[in-house]
Amino acid sequence: MGLPPLWVSNRKEVFPTSAAPGNTLVPVTAISPGARAYQVAAEPSLRVQILDLGLACCALEVGSAIATGLLVEIEGSVESGELAEVAEGTSQGVGTTILLISGTITDALAPAVLRAWEQLPEPKAAVSFGACANTGGPYWDAPTVTKGIDQVVPVRVYVPGCPPRPEALIAGLLKVRDEIVVA
Amino acid sequence: MTTDRGVSVQAHGVIALTASACTSCMICVRECPSWCIELESHDEEVSEPGARRPRTVSVLDAFTIDFGLCMYCGICVDLCPFDALAWQPDFDYASGSAAGLVQGISELESWQRGPGASTAISDS
Repeated sequence: MGLPPLWVSNRKEVFPTSAAPGNTLVPVTAISPGARAYQVAAEPSLRVQILDLGLACCALEVGSAIATGLLVEIEGSVESGELAEVAEGTSQGVGTTILLISGTITDALAPAVLRAWEQLPEPKAAVSFGACANTGGPYWDAPTVTKGIDQVVPVRVYVPGCPPRPEALIAGLLKVRDEIVVA
Repeated sequence: MTTDRGVSVQAHGVIALTASACTSCMICVRECPSWCIELESHDEEVSEPGARRPRTVSVLDAFTIDFGLCMYCGICVDLCPFDALAWQPDFDYASGSAAGLVQGISELESWQRGPGASTAISDS
């Protein structure tokens, strides 16, 4: 199994080598190739749509979760909303799309993240993955780094780690499920 | 060796504190590259029978690690002269709020392995 296509496409498009001179915003279409549907291997009933914004090295761990089979990409239409947790007969949270923000967010990139969030159809939940997305992490005193993506979008679950393990991503998704379905 | 969650027992998942071993020396706080550790202490005089003068000891009042900031470099664990800090393989402590990633003495101590620890270790 090679590198998951999501990871490759994100990396190529988020960090263009020649485009985006100066502080020009990366077009949101470039960082949101579209949400994809995944199944959590440990809990096959949990199927989620994830729009993965892999902005820095934490994206490797997301890729690792897919490459090691913790997250299994499945066929399905994002728009249909039929892919989601269906727990105990409740329909709450069904069709939730998760915006997975992993990596360092700079102030130049933050508006693009916000637009990706705004363009995501309801219901949706944002997951902050890793220290940089949580608080700015090791770069909290850097003038150009956003001190946590929760300054830009409402975050449902914060996954700690630098980077978090692939297993921690699964644990974070389960926590989103618990919060949405139980809450 | 892996835990029952399938990760290596040596995984750098979380940093556990043994508060009784901490002397409030502040080395971890000063050397942390992310400045994610906070420590408060006060001095107390301890008189012992037969001693010429009372000893002054530091008493730990508060110790917090902000795992939202932590870069998991382990410098604090390596530098602690009294092994009060140790890596543990737990990873399942995602929080619904950024403040929820700030852990105090009781939470940091709860990560210690010992008899009755919640995460069993297997040889697989």
